[in-house]
Amino acid sequence: AVVKYLLCVVRLQHAGRYNDDFDDGEDIAEFDDNDFAEFEDVSEDPAVDVEKEPPPRAAPSSTPIEDEEDEATVENEDGQDEFEDADAQDQDMYSKYDNEEFEGHEKTNPSFKDTLIYREVPAHLQNSWESYYMEILMVTGLLAYIMNYIIGKNKNSRLAQAWFNSHRELLESNFALVGDDGTSKEATSTGKLNQENEHIYNLWCSGRVCCEGMLIQLKFLKRQDLLNVLARMMRPVCDQVQVKVTLNDEDMDTFVFAVGSRKAMARLQKEMQDLSEFCGDKPKSGAKYGIPESLSILSEMGEVTDGVMDSKMVHYLTSHADKIESIHFSDQFSGPKVMQEEGQPLKLPETKKTLLFTFNVPGMGNTSPKDMDSLLPLMNMVIYSIDKLKKLRLNREGKQKADRNRARVEENFLKQTHAQRQEAAQTRREEKKRAEKERIMNEEDPDRQRRLEEAAQRREQKKLEKKQMKMKQIKVKAM
Amino acid sequence: MTVNNMADPRRPNKIFRYKPPNTETNPTLEDPTPDYMNLLGMIFSMCGLMLKLKWCAWIAVYCSFISFKSLKCNASGLLSISAVVMSYLQNPQPMSPPW
Repeated sequence: AVVKYLLCVVRLQHAGRYNDDFDDGEDIAEFDDNDFAEFEDVSEDPAVDVEKEPPPRAAPSSTPIEDEEDEATVENEDGQDEFEDADAQDQDMYSKYDNEEFEGHEKTNPSFKDTLIYREVPAHLQNSWESYYMEILMVTGLLAYIMNYIIGKNKNSRLAQAWFNSHRELLESNFALVGDDGTSKEATSTGKLNQENEHIYNLWCSGRVCCEGMLIQLKFLKRQDLLNVLARMMRPVCDQVQVKVTLNDEDMDTFVFAVGSRKAMARLQKEMQDLSEFCGDKPKSGAKYGIPESLSILSEMGEVTDGVMDSKMVHYLTSHADKIESIHFSDQFSGPKVMQEEGQPLKLPETKKTLLFTFNVPGMGNTSPKDMDSLLPLMNMVIYSIDKLKKLRLNREGKQKADRNRARVEENFLKQTHAQRQEAAQTRREEKKRAEKERIMNEEDPDRQRRLEEAAQRREQKKLEKKQMKMKQIKVKAM
Repeated sequence: MTVNNMADPRRPNKIFRYKPPNTETNPTLEDPTPDYMNLLGMIFSMCGLMLKLKWCAWIAVYCSFISFKSLKCNASGLLSISAVVMSYLQNPQPMSPPW
């Protein structure tokens, strides 16, 4: 116990001395009776102080350890030194441990010195709506799409109704049947447009001299589709009104003619079956006939152009050139060229005498219902054209030329398909033979089988003879 | 104005009924977009359900919306909505952006 007390005293003295070395500010009063009080100080002290220690401590550390063992029984006086040494040695040991412990580290005690690092709570454990921002974005996008759908559909509907309201009077005074969807039993005017889908409206009019019927299609932009709306911001497009008048045979003479914007004419000449066959020349500029440069003409023959381009027509075209996309009169109309899968089709496509008008609605997409009124003069032009073509007849020369053209086209077509038609005929013949052979095979009665076989053979023989006769005849003729 | 001078051009005895144009002969006139969107919607919703990818299911919902308006075909719409719902039931974590 005495030894212990002495040790404590000695340590206190040392602690005081060491404190002076380390840190002048340290108060001795801080020390408890606790044996480890001074070690607390040592461990809490910054690295700087401890690092200063290694050189002075390292050297004497080895010798005191040996001394302690030898001088364990030395008296108090000497013991003081020894105790001091021992104490020093203890201190050294602890400092050494401190040094060894923290050798190579820049900081000695990061957990005490550095700030706390806050790890983020994983998103699914947070109870906040903010973490669902992607979902909220998605739902907002869907809502925007739905809103656009409703707004676009309504706008198209209003435009269609405005068009019909401004044209109703003209149509009702010209046609007995205005509006028909084809489903009702009786042919009565429905008096309203057929809505095909959210952006296309139809109107069928019939019951007039000089024509069979007139189909008007209001082809609006797809305002109800958000994707389309965004695409149109890059590339502006127009609403279009397409009028297709179908004629009876007596309502129009035989010719093919088209006038419209230059771009449209170039495109139609490539796309349309009849324009590509009958109007082979490049589109002529409209300036020659008194209409604006922006319009060009495709015609089967000059006489037709002269006949169509009378003063009233020129007036219509000049005053509404911006709204006219294309005007196409044809007695051989069969629509656009059909893409062939395997060679040409085996027969000519069906044709119908047709007048096809395509008008652009002004406004380039930003149309208002008022703009529909500006299309009324164009409908007047349509009616005028119908009446005019009934009276327009080619002279004798023109008619001959037209007939020759049509014969030429038909002949070309037949030539092109000749090989194919031959092939088709060949396959049909082979099919017949095969069917007959099968029938013979399937015949159960052997007698009948034999008889059928003989009949087939005889037929074959006859055919061969016929062929031989033909060859002989040709040879004779050649000679 | 000139109607009084001219005879009435209407002929009730020359009425022809409306015949809807035959779209079989002109397949190019039909817009193929809604069909593609329908198909895409189905594919994406299948992917979303099988692979448990949330963004697949959302794209499927968009595709089916676009084609729904044109085709009025509810099958893919319902399928895509079920894909979204199932993805969230199985994994309530919010969707992380794919970048």
